[in-house]
Amino acid sequence: MAEDEGRGGSLALRPKGGYTNNGFVQSEDSPSTVAPADCSLPVLAPPAALDLGQPYAGMPKEVLLQFSGRTCYRLPRELLFWLTVASVLALTAATAATIVLSPRCLDWWQDGPMYQIYPRSFRDSDGDGDGDLPGVLEKLDYLASLHVKTLWLTSFYKSPLKDFRHGVEDFREVDPMFGTMRDFEDLVAAVHDRGLKLIMDFIPNHTSDRHAWFQLSRNRTGKYSSYYIWHNCTQDGGTVPPNNWLSVYGNSSWHFDPVRNQCYFHQFTSQQPDLNFRSPHVQEEMSDILRFWLSKGVDGFSLNSVKFLLEAQHLRDEPQVYRNQSPDTVTQYSELYHDFTTTQVGLHDLVRSFRQTLDQQSREPGRYRFLGTEASGESVDSTMMYYGQPFVQEADFPFNSLLSSLDTPSGGQVSHAIMTWLQNMPEGKWPNWMTGSPEQARISSRLGKEYVNLMNLLVFTLPGTPITYYGEEIGMGDTEAISLNETYDKSTLFAKAPMQWDNSSNAGFSGGVQAWLPPADDYLTVNVDAQKMQPGSALRFYQELGQLRAGELLLSRGWFCPVVAQGPSVAFVRELPGMDRALLVVGHFGEPTTLNLQALVPGLPAHVRVRLSTSPAMQGQKVDTAAIPLTLGVGLLLDYATSTLLHRDPALSHSCFMASHACYSPMLGILHRSC
Amino acid sequence: MEETSLRKRREDEKSIQSNEPKSTNLQKEVGLVSGICIIVGTIIGSGIFISPKSVLSNTEAVGPCLIIWATCGVLATLGALCFAELGTMITKSGGEYPYLMEAFGPIPAYLFSWTSLFVIKPTSFAIICLSFSEYVSAPFYSGCKPPELVVKCLAAAAILLITTVNALSVRLGSYVQNLFTAAKLVIVAIIIISGLVLLAQGNTKNFENSFEGSKLTVGAISLAFYNGLWAYDGWNQLNYITEELKNPFRNLPLAIVIGIPLVTGCYILMNVSYFTVMTTTELLQSQAVAVTFGDRVLYPASWVVPLFVAFSTIGAANGTCFTAGRLVYVAGREGHMLKLLSYISVKRLTPAPAIIFYGIIAIIYIIPGNINSLVNYFSFTAWFFYGLTVLGLIVMRFTRKDLERPIKVPIVIPILVTLVSIFLVLAPIISEPAMEYLYCVIFILSGLLFYFPFVHYKSGWAQKISNPVTMYLQMLMEVVPPEDDPK
Repeated sequence: MAEDEGRGGSLALRPKGGYTNNGFVQSEDSPSTVAPADCSLPVLAPPAALDLGQPYAGMPKEVLLQFSGRTCYRLPRELLFWLTVASVLALTAATAATIVLSPRCLDWWQDGPMYQIYPRSFRDSDGDGDGDLPGVLEKLDYLASLHVKTLWLTSFYKSPLKDFRHGVEDFREVDPMFGTMRDFEDLVAAVHDRGLKLIMDFIPNHTSDRHAWFQLSRNRTGKYSSYYIWHNCTQDGGTVPPNNWLSVYGNSSWHFDPVRNQCYFHQFTSQQPDLNFRSPHVQEEMSDILRFWLSKGVDGFSLNSVKFLLEAQHLRDEPQVYRNQSPDTVTQYSELYHDFTTTQVGLHDLVRSFRQTLDQQSREPGRYRFLGTEASGESVDSTMMYYGQPFVQEADFPFNSLLSSLDTPSGGQVSHAIMTWLQNMPEGKWPNWMTGSPEQARISSRLGKEYVNLMNLLVFTLPGTPITYYGEEIGMGDTEAISLNETYDKSTLFAKAPMQWDNSSNAGFSGGVQAWLPPADDYLTVNVDAQKMQPGSALRFYQELGQLRAGELLLSRGWFCPVVAQGPSVAFVRELPGMDRALLVVGHFGEPTTLNLQALVPGLPAHVRVRLSTSPAMQGQKVDTAAIPLTLGVGLLLDYATSTLLHRDPALSHSCFMASHACYSPMLGILHRSC
Repeated sequence: MEETSLRKRREDEKSIQSNEPKSTNLQKEVGLVSGICIIVGTIIGSGIFISPKSVLSNTEAVGPCLIIWATCGVLATLGALCFAELGTMITKSGGEYPYLMEAFGPIPAYLFSWTSLFVIKPTSFAIICLSFSEYVSAPFYSGCKPPELVVKCLAAAAILLITTVNALSVRLGSYVQNLFTAAKLVIVAIIIISGLVLLAQGNTKNFENSFEGSKLTVGAISLAFYNGLWAYDGWNQLNYITEELKNPFRNLPLAIVIGIPLVTGCYILMNVSYFTVMTTTELLQSQAVAVTFGDRVLYPASWVVPLFVAFSTIGAANGTCFTAGRLVYVAGREGHMLKLLSYISVKRLTPAPAIIFYGIIAIIYIIPGNINSLVNYFSFTAWFFYGLTVLGLIVMRFTRKDLERPIKVPIVIPILVTLVSIFLVLAPIISEPAMEYLYCVIFILSGLLFYFPFVHYKSGWAQKISNPVTMYLQMLMEVVPPEDDPK
């Protein structure tokens, strides 16, 4: 209390503010020249002539004014007043300076992991054997427990079954298999209530042949007649395709339509006619569809099959891969160079216009809408094009499938994949790492069960957004697709097995009699329920990674410096200027060995603590950095104190990477750019 | 430079001298318009702009939501009418404090001032300033939360500035209040008018079947009321400065009768506006409702919304500082706080020590991590003291029949308000019992530890310490006890 009072005095000055009552003071002071400017003593005798008594607590105005003008009171009063003014200015200046020096903060799509859900296989809420949207809603608490930030739903548009719902019959409808639009709205609301975000697939390249547009286009109805790519292809009563272009699934990409008496172009199956993106009407329709979903609250899109959006208008034949092959036998997609049907000039203008549509809905605070592009099977250079130019934004990132398409477990290849992305990515952009997707075999089947935890560790500790395909957090394997009454290319089904929730029938995926796909055989042991309780399980490890990444500035903002990029191991350091510690990640693909990092990492102490390990035995232990014991599939996260910054080391700096420059100020506890 | 400052000094001197004939006391400077501005300015803070969803989230439908907003406005008006009777009967500043004193004696009054001075008022001042600075810094940190350093520095600057202004001049403080209230009403008007235009254009989709999907359980309705009434908190602000009102017998009731229905109207129409462009789900999920509204309706001029909301927030902060300073002042005058706190600046005629004290406490509160939870747990005490005060009104109808009551409300009103208060105190405690409520009660009662030695028995050694301090601070601040102390 007494202290408060003391400080009270300090603020008190301000009432006196710009007014110096020198006038008063001097006039009254001058007679009292006898009295020294000593005011520490209340007993100080006032000049007898004035006879106004001594100052005392609760004195009235007349007495007060006798003394209050003295330098010893006036000076601290003015001093304190100006101090207050100065501190207002200083605080404001400090605020402004901090704001100016703050680095751009991470947006939600950079901030936390994404989790990709194939809704048909995630959770069946109504027992019909097919997963659905209410099923996803049911499992939101589970998703929150994984510390993921963004849910990514693959296509759930109304569509006939061909090619896994990638031929859309109505872009504005939810397929009845997954529920209703109301179910979707409820899901979005519930996702947002938990502070999570939801992105969905957007498939603009083509529609189903049952789409109303196609029916209207067939009849040459108004503007719709140019919605698809039509060409004459009848000759002498027979059908001759306009050129040698092939569909992705083989054979000519031209299909004769008897109604319109012309051929339409399709990149994929003949039930999926390509939209004509040279028509402004089609572009407008697509923007409208984006706006439709944005107004439902969707936080972003994954743009599918982007490179196929445009085709050359000159219709010249594409060159053959094997020159000597007879043109008539060229039926496989891989037998042509697709110079005229993929990545055509103008493609990026389309991506930009999608981005602009999203930008118009991104103005509200905290409402940034994300755009990712799916670009599998493209060269690194053309993939990086989707990041856009410094002044024209396109995708926030093209999805990175370098790790998810890795077939053999090898340290060198993993390092190569990592460096390929980081070194080719335009400056200031944000990387991302996928470990799986509906189209690729799962980690445990592709690389081996031993590598599940290690791959999760790597993507969570690399700079950028980790993207997990559902089931990878428990190390699910591929399914053996058996009985199917639908016509599928069976090779695409492996990674689409129902999520393994527990050891009941259908792995807890469905309460019905039969799931659309049988769960993988290992569901009795590999399931969420079992792993939740089991220390050292893949799920527990994944949850720890999520927690670690959420709270660790080094992982979200730090520099990345690879230290081992060859041989069976991968090792890299995450560090941040101003931070007195760093993280060292080591992963091993191959036979047991020991690794000497002492020589490779300047400033590494002889013994460091293992903060996180794929093998529970090593967790929390100290390891000798001159001989780190490594076994097949082991991954370690080492936490050590250091003041050496690797990215300032001339020998290492060229391979280090940072997305947006930032330094940490331990004193103020903030990030800043002044370094 | 010297010269100009000298000239300025002379002018200052003159102006001081022109004040000279006035007695050293708080002047009656607050007229009807300023009074209304204080009511409107403190009730409408930032809540209605940022998260007017507490009512909707409990009713889940547009129709009941609007009805509850209106009913809450009526209840607030009834409460304020009781306070109008009290304020015109006992024309002292300090809100509930003098009424509790009159009705129940010094101990309840002391405990009220103890709790208000150390927790309720400074934390709400601090919170308003914190939300102001969060609001101002948010545009610079799109996508994430501004660092605490930024928020706290700016909040501290705002508190210092507001305290300085109010310690410097009553008139300046109320000009600032009027200015920011005007700004607030401008943005309220913009939102309402554009909403009405949209409504006239036929954007009535969200009002169709507006009672559908509502969950009208007793629990949900009472929670909605509870939250709704919080949006009207501040309806008794004018009672804190009764002594400074010009012609309080006319202006106090008039300001209440104009001010609170005005706020009610604004609240309802703003909600209607929001519903013209947002569905209930969208409104519940928007992080800043008015900004969402501005973005959809006013673009490309949508930047006016955050700007004016910032004005509105700082206006509310100024209002609470203006009025709460008076509570300290009155408590000091009664000897329940240090006498010094009731002193008045000789030259500025402001209760400077009280306001400065209030500012210091508020600054202390912004330093620790998060005071929101503290505020939440103490919120029930506000309704406890409202209820107690209105109960005092009923009691005084019997014990103090002789007092002149320029305004006399029908006895049903205070009874109703008391019942509502009892409900509002118990509702949060029953719905979510927590030990923290017990700690709050213990804190309130712990005030008595200071009461008996220092206030009741006025122990001599305490005086020995406080006298030289008081004297020195008097000199430092140039403050003296008010003349013709009403006591």
